[in-house]
Amino acid sequence: MKQMICPINGTRPIVEFTCGGDLQSMPDPHCGDTVWADYIFNRNNAPTIKQEWWCHTPSNTWFIAKRNTLTDEVLCTYLYGQEDV
Amino acid sequence: MPLRLLKFGFSKTYPEPRMFRSPDRLKSSYDAVIIGGGGHGLAAAYYLSRDHGMNNIAVLERGYIGSGNTGRNTTIIRSNYLTPEGVKFYDQSVQLWQDLSVDFDLNLFYSTRGHFTLAHTDASVRTMRWRAEVNKHYGIDSELVAPEDVKAACPEMDLNCGGHTPVLGALYHAPGSIARHDAVAWGYGRGADQRGVEIHQQTEVVGIQVEADRVTGVATSRGQIATPRVLCAVAGFTPRLLQMVNLPSPIYVHPLQAMVSEPMKPWLDPIIVSGSLHVYVSQTARGELVMGASLDPYELHASRSTLEFAEGLSAQMLELFPFLSHVKIVRQWAGMADMTPDFAPIMGKTPIAGFYLDAGWGTWGFKATPVCGKTMAYTVANDKNHELIQDFSLDRFKRYELVGEKGAASVGH
Amino acid sequence: MSTPRRLSPIHESLQQIEGTWSDINGMPALIHTSEDARIAKTLGIADLSSLGRFGVKGAGAAAWLAHYGITVEQPNRWTRLAGGLAIRLGLSEYLIEDSLSNTSSNIPSNTLPNTMVSRLAAGNFDPDQVYPVLRQDLALALWGEQVPALMLQTCNFNFRALTLAENPVVLTTMIGVAVTVLPSERNGLPFYRIWCDGTFGNYFWHTLLAIAQELGGGVIGTTSILFP
Repeated sequence: MKQMICPINGTRPIVEFTCGGDLQSMPDPHCGDTVWADYIFNRNNAPTIKQEWWCHTPSNTWFIAKRNTLTDEVLCTYLYGQEDV
Repeated sequence: MPLRLLKFGFSKTYPEPRMFRSPDRLKSSYDAVIIGGGGHGLAAAYYLSRDHGMNNIAVLERGYIGSGNTGRNTTIIRSNYLTPEGVKFYDQSVQLWQDLSVDFDLNLFYSTRGHFTLAHTDASVRTMRWRAEVNKHYGIDSELVAPEDVKAACPEMDLNCGGHTPVLGALYHAPGSIARHDAVAWGYGRGADQRGVEIHQQTEVVGIQVEADRVTGVATSRGQIATPRVLCAVAGFTPRLLQMVNLPSPIYVHPLQAMVSEPMKPWLDPIIVSGSLHVYVSQTARGELVMGASLDPYELHASRSTLEFAEGLSAQMLELFPFLSHVKIVRQWAGMADMTPDFAPIMGKTPIAGFYLDAGWGTWGFKATPVCGKTMAYTVANDKNHELIQDFSLDRFKRYELVGEKGAASVGH
Repeated sequence: MSTPRRLSPIHESLQQIEGTWSDINGMPALIHTSEDARIAKTLGIADLSSLGRFGVKGAGAAAWLAHYGITVEQPNRWTRLAGGLAIRLGLSEYLIEDSLSNTSSNIPSNTLPNTMVSRLAAGNFDPDQVYPVLRQDLALALWGEQVPALMLQTCNFNFRALTLAENPVVLTTMIGVAVTVLPSERNGLPFYRIWCDGTFGNYFWHTLLAIAQELGGGVIGTTSILFP
């Protein structure tokens, strides 16, 4: 089974994890409907190396994973804000 | 039949006419280029040449025809959707399906089985009731039935589901059918080919030229083509093509897996779907059980299959049919489903003139093949969205006018 | 006859087993069965849901607990307290559980016993980023030489790779259910504590019990497992 490394709990099978979608920054809520629609609906959705939110569900640990969405390789995982640690 | 088979065996050359030609070179220009040689693209080519008099058309296919989701789905055809937009659209499709074998002079093994969507909770009974009422309002044969009716149609089922999730009722849709999916691609391909459409397999699109927001040509692995009209019908590859023309979209790609069992004597006539158990299953004319479940849980642009899927789906199947515990799984595969936030497709014109989209077909595209071909052919020929697809345009997201088909599109979303 | 103040998530399932019952912390508990002594060495499975339990989380939880003299230095470790145990679940969540010796079955069920958990629950949650967590767990104990065999059948995690002296705690899934597992040893035999959400209780219990019985084990009582 495919495995993933939780920064707190270590290497676990992928079924213990849930993907929370792309890491993206929220625009100013007063940005207007067009920009807001772009933010909530549109995605950078061609295959690439992405930063995504993932959660280790038994411990509810949210973290960031860098993943290649063409080959399904997880390049690294880290707690939000601790990429360089 | 055996004589014909003998003839095949002794013949030095292939004795049957090919379904369609394989032109060895691309022309320098076409009136329209269809990217994607799956059911949807070939159907659009067929109706463009048959109904709209356009036959200087090239269909470009990266692999071989029907190698994408057309040949990877679980072949279920139905129209018991939830929203009025969806119901009208899919009903047109079911009606087209029923005449297709005659239309093509090709046996599609179209087989009307009846379709049960099981409800295991009070909430899903309510949704089934809602769907039944919307369906009936539009004249579609759809009703809420009791567990006894399910048992009568499928005595092998354990209605109690091992005590975990007993069946409380079901939505029954009598016109629910299955068909041989690759024959659909061949039928449309042959029909289009006979009317002059060129089908180019092993031809990958590497770029799309746009000048002043208007399509002018397509760059392929086998050369450059000039064309004023491009129809993009590439399912899971849609994001890659949209990137070539710089169009943002809400489409996201998840793999959808399926598997088949070894062949058995016929025992399962209806199509059985359970949203709570994430299962859909039917038995083919060959006796194999074709089984599918929900989408893979994260984005991936590859058609790999996983052990978790086979394990998970088998466990759910055994809740419904414990007697299958010794049956073997013989094949497993995946397709790339192009999902949308509202589980309805994205069809029609785009902000780029001459660039038409038939996408966002996620896990529900096979059943819509004929009507997509027909409405997209109309849209391409007239440069005007067909009235049945007006609600499915790409700019609905900009206007926050979503279609909300999640409750009925498939299982487990 | 008075209505019990608390019920175990698997109360109904337990009632079908013959044995001695008693009230622990206001919860009817199966404390002893005639088979206990025979089963315990192989694989005994006991319901400890009746023990007092308290959860707290948030960035301020560690400092808050330190006021009560409770510290767990590292994530996913546990420590023994005078009257129970404390588990650090990940970075900033804690589970504290009373031991049975610290709860009395003689206290009337309408008064709270004076235990670690009751003192914490009556605490002041005003400080920033300290949030109490409602714990309605199914709490189990597994004991006997066949415990590793049961874990192999139900869980992906390799418990043999752990060093028990470090007091490890593992947050993982068993048979599809999110669990907290505390592996340890008692009398030279594997002794595992498992907590999961009570709503999965019956499914979890029945599945584990069926496997335990296949392995020659079965249900044992709460006091039998805690005071063998």
